[in-house]
Amino acid sequence: MDVLSIHNLRKSFGGKEMLCGIDMSVPEHSIFGFIGKNGAGKTTTMKAILGLLKVDCGAIHVMGEKVRFGQTATNRYIGYLPDVPEFYSYMTPYEYLTFCGNICGMDEADIKTRSKELLDLVGLRQERHRIKGFSRGMKQRLGIAQALLNRPKLLICDEPTSALDPVGRKEILDILLAAREQTTVLFSTHILSDVERICTEAAFLHDGRIAMQGTIAQLRSRRTSDGFIVETERKEDADTLMPAFGDLRRTGQNALMCHGGEDCFFAVMCYIAEHRIPVQRIERMEPTLESLFLEVTT
Amino acid sequence: MTPLLAFITKEWLEAARTGKIIILTLLFVMFGIMNPAIAKLMPWMMEILSNTMAENGLMVTDIQVDAMTSWTQFFKNIPMALIAFVLIFSDIFTKEYKSGTLLLVLTKGLSRYKVVLAKTMLLLSLWTVGYGLCFAITYGYNAYFWDNDIANNLFVSAALWWLFGVWVICLMILLSSLLQNNTGVILCVGGTMLAAYALSIIPKAKAYSPTVLMNANSLLTGAEGIDAYAHAIAIAALLCIACVAASIPIVNKRQL
Repeated sequence: MDVLSIHNLRKSFGGKEMLCGIDMSVPEHSIFGFIGKNGAGKTTTMKAILGLLKVDCGAIHVMGEKVRFGQTATNRYIGYLPDVPEFYSYMTPYEYLTFCGNICGMDEADIKTRSKELLDLVGLRQERHRIKGFSRGMKQRLGIAQALLNRPKLLICDEPTSALDPVGRKEILDILLAAREQTTVLFSTHILSDVERICTEAAFLHDGRIAMQGTIAQLRSRRTSDGFIVETERKEDADTLMPAFGDLRRTGQNALMCHGGEDCFFAVMCYIAEHRIPVQRIERMEPTLESLFLEVTT
Repeated sequence: MTPLLAFITKEWLEAARTGKIIILTLLFVMFGIMNPAIAKLMPWMMEILSNTMAENGLMVTDIQVDAMTSWTQFFKNIPMALIAFVLIFSDIFTKEYKSGTLLLVLTKGLSRYKVVLAKTMLLLSLWTVGYGLCFAITYGYNAYFWDNDIANNLFVSAALWWLFGVWVICLMILLSSLLQNNTGVILCVGGTMLAAYALSIIPKAKAYSPTVLMNANSLLTGAEGIDAYAHAIAIAALLCIACVAASIPIVNKRQL
């Protein structure tokens, strides 16, 4: 079942079309990476899902219910973490979670246990100070705790790791990975290593459209190989190979790279065998999301 | 706890922890004490100034001070308290728009009209309690030093000014739902007051302007009856409801 489905979503800002007919679906219990360049329209799409933005055209359904602008009834299924979460700075983390629990209509006992459980998960259980003095990483962690408080069916995170140091990033990704057991995660990012690390599915947003969508394996399989690298033992051997194949490009003194397909690969292998060229290494280059992203966006 | 009650509690906590409650309490207590204090000190001040006034040909004779002097001071000072109240709370909505704190609360499924209602209820409660405190202090001192019976329709006069304050607060709610920053809210509240005051200068329209409610002294001295305020009371009450009711669809349509 799809937790979220978007059909033909369009939105313009002052004559500039930001979203030009987005079609996308997020299956249950997936970690869905929403990839796009800065300014591609990721936050706009997320705000539309949350009913915070009036769209020009199209329909968004969360758990089968239509999202309406201004009246955010579908938000009871959603937990949201904005890119820069802002809290009431005069509250402590526990007070803030209690307040959020009351807003969601949770009962007092559940709020108490759930708040403690989530503060444990994000490592803020011992924090007795007010939010005022929190670092950005601590605010992100508290943001995830508040987003998960009412056991949402869909957790939406808008670039949760983009402004964090490597330790902070790892912490947030680990929390999102752990959250997968309870919910479906949709997170936008332009950090592709994060997507490769935790996502099960991903979609590329480019020029206001979904350029590509599928599981990580499906996306990778769109390009069988990115080519291969041949490293000879001596520089002279590399010099022999270079003129024989036009596709080869030198990347080191005795290292050559080829972006050709299977035919080129076997032709080079035959040439190496026939001419008895001593080889140190032959390595296939696996397609990465980065190469896919670059292919889509350039 | 219901979502509305939770949001009202949050508003209270915010007002308390950001020091607004303390400032308001001090302000209303200070004005409450100042009214009888000024009345009490009047003869002494006149005596000090008598020599200077004599040089200008003014003779200070017997100064009569009673509860009425203190109540006159009360109605002269309370506009300042209301201005301070508007200045302190002019950012009650705009601060949330700017910082984005409302975003997380609304994405939790809280209806936007509850945000408007909670903020309105808190402001009206604080105004009522603060105004009541100021009135009670002045009333207490007046009863101790003089006799409050001298003032006609005292409670009705006080209620008129309270209603004027309620109208200003409801206007502030409406403008806060429309505008992006608190400077705009303050300027527009001031502008509307000026327009209402300008309206009250026109003899035929005077009775319909809510600013007539500020002229509670006439009722106190018996110069005018309650009937003279009937239209202004009705208009002010209707405007209060209209302002809050109009704020709800405006906040509903607002893009955050």
